[in-house]
Amino acid sequence: MSRRRTREVIRQSRLGRIAPLARLALRFGGRYLARSPQLLFASVERRTELRHDLALRSAEEVAEELGYMKGVLMKLGQMASYVDEDMPQTFRAAMGRLQHNAPPMSPELASSVIVDELGDAPERVFARWDALPFAAASIGQVHRAITKDSKAVAVKVQYPGIARSITSDLRNVALLRRVVSAAFPGMDVQSLIEELGERLREEVDYLLEADNQEYFAQYYEGHPVIHVPQVVRELSTARVLTTELVSGERFEKILQWDQHERDMAAETINRFVTRSLYRLHAFNGDPHPGNYLFHGGGRVSFLDFGLTKRFTDQDLVPLVEALRCLVIEKDGECFRSALEHAGFLKPGAPVPTETVVDRFGLFYSTVLQDAPMTITPAFASAIVRRFFDAKGPLAPYSDVPRTYVVLQRINLGLYAVLGSLNATANWRRIGQEMWPFVMGPPSTPIGEAEARWVHKRAERELAATR
Amino acid sequence: MRPESEVDRQPASSLAILEPLARALTRSVAERPADDGLFGPRSLVWRVHRDRSFAVAGIRSLMVQALHPLAMAGVAQHSNWEQDPIGRLAATSGYILTVTYGDTASVQQAGARVRAIHRHVNGTDSVTGSEYHAADPALLLWIHAAMVDSIVNVVQRYGRQLDAADADRYVAEMVRFAELVGVPAEQVPAGVAALQEYMESVEPLRATPAALHAISVVLDPPGLGDDMRELWHDIGQVAIGTLPGWARSMYGFGKPDPELMEREHVRQLIGALDLGYESLPGVMEARERIELRMRQ
Repeated sequence: MSRRRTREVIRQSRLGRIAPLARLALRFGGRYLARSPQLLFASVERRTELRHDLALRSAEEVAEELGYMKGVLMKLGQMASYVDEDMPQTFRAAMGRLQHNAPPMSPELASSVIVDELGDAPERVFARWDALPFAAASIGQVHRAITKDSKAVAVKVQYPGIARSITSDLRNVALLRRVVSAAFPGMDVQSLIEELGERLREEVDYLLEADNQEYFAQYYEGHPVIHVPQVVRELSTARVLTTELVSGERFEKILQWDQHERDMAAETINRFVTRSLYRLHAFNGDPHPGNYLFHGGGRVSFLDFGLTKRFTDQDLVPLVEALRCLVIEKDGECFRSALEHAGFLKPGAPVPTETVVDRFGLFYSTVLQDAPMTITPAFASAIVRRFFDAKGPLAPYSDVPRTYVVLQRINLGLYAVLGSLNATANWRRIGQEMWPFVMGPPSTPIGEAEARWVHKRAERELAATR
Repeated sequence: MRPESEVDRQPASSLAILEPLARALTRSVAERPADDGLFGPRSLVWRVHRDRSFAVAGIRSLMVQALHPLAMAGVAQHSNWEQDPIGRLAATSGYILTVTYGDTASVQQAGARVRAIHRHVNGTDSVTGSEYHAADPALLLWIHAAMVDSIVNVVQRYGRQLDAADADRYVAEMVRFAELVGVPAEQVPAGVAALQEYMESVEPLRATPAALHAISVVLDPPGLGDDMRELWHDIGQVAIGTLPGWARSMYGFGKPDPELMEREHVRQLIGALDLGYESLPGVMEARERIELRMRQ
């Protein structure tokens, strides 16, 4: 019997539910401990698409490539890349295209940034340093290294001068406005520019990212399937971010995995987003496929916390209310008033409540039914189209308040990711485990493992407060 | 769930205006050139001619060149530029890029084609009553000098670093450029000072009605989308700002807002335009070919 066939049989059997769990437990134990830093270092492959032959050799070349509006506009393109549908091919094409092509820094230039930030050449700061980056980052690149106390780490190095250049470019609001309205006719230019500005100012400061990553890493410590790499504080500055090195499969690779593995990966991503929102009151901004690494058995490492949004309790109340009213209470009026409260819908709009439920309800359609549902690419595009539908009956009365702009973007990106995985799950049951007004029982093997982790976590916290 | 402002604006084909220019670049920079051509990858000409401030330099060149009534008359009476101003611009730009980056055979072919066209361009200028001939070395020298002067001026101000010594070397290297269309080398200024002296010695210069008309089209070409028009308009204002005072007054342009002329601002403007240009098929690849050859 083939491996796949065996797996199928086990899955369908009565005991099937236990098998993945056992696998999880087995794999989890051996995951990092068995690997020496040298082996881990060696297992992280350099991405082949990096154009070392075109490496940037000076701050001047960096400015030429990414300064003078280019970096800023490329970032804008990245933000908008989740909403590909129905957008004209103007500057946006430029933004998307160039994003993948920013050349890396030459070894000498990257080294000079380390000298400026950490006080000495990388070969002396680290026990081992790979002079060639293994991955690109939006305003920098990532090197492998081993610290003097033998930790394998990923060192993100920012392009020199880029922070200053971005700050200056963001000040030229008039020009930004022109290009943005050229690239995104029909979008709210003002809010897009404000959001872009806020995000970019945060993103250029790696210390903020370090704070955010630590916040997530600390919360998810010991989680059975969600892994956030630890930050190495003493080797991080505003321009250099050093974190635990992770080796795993990239998104493109797991698209070839069998559906069961893809479903588990999707479940974990969904759990990470839901739990972070409802429990941590934080959103890790960028559901870009490149920000995940997959380890099989549903285990996923989450990278890149440059775009993190934290919510206050007040921010969350209307979201929780809307969800509760629609999904649990099935009360249209209650749902409508929650949307109005959040600012998504103008109060007193001359539109019947059924229409409101029908139009906005689509965004909740994965959790409306207590049944398995497959998120297909077509479903993901339908969501995006609805979101940007200018001609629908609610268009004149709806808006996305600034607090939730990032959240909305991320949601759309998340659907795109789950859609590419063609993932099936009972999303409702999974959601209910984490919704504060339900606190449902574990509904999957991963959920059971998570419940044990939650329990241990609570015990630990309780012990700490005593 | 969407913001409602500007909802019904039509998507503009903003970048269409740049497409002929992009094609001119990709055609001029061969994937497998037979040799390094007239100048070679170590030359200043290679370095300067890929500067992203070239759009501004190009517009300034046209504005200065058009102030010679006989040069302008030749264009006005013999060229179909007005039916397709961007196409005409792209042809010129393609010529410059081919002579710069092309191999020797392509350069000679391009030079021969231009000389052949010039042989048939002659007539009488209706404003001054003078006769002109496009193959006249004096006219060709004016066109050449106005271009080189504009490039040096704009690149020094808004481009990547070009110090005085490099600028001199660039002007000297460009003598061969003028030679190719038929100006005897000994007549061509071979340094910045000589170039300056020459520019100030040429007369009579004036903005004829034909020149005024041509420049108004350059500054506001037909077929631009609203958004691109604004960007193009700003680039044009910057080009006007780089003109010598005498040229500006001939056209009747005022002195532009100093804030508009600041390096940082102009670089941002150029960067935004360049991002659109670079996104067109083949542009980035052509630039990479140039860069890689210069690094060898």
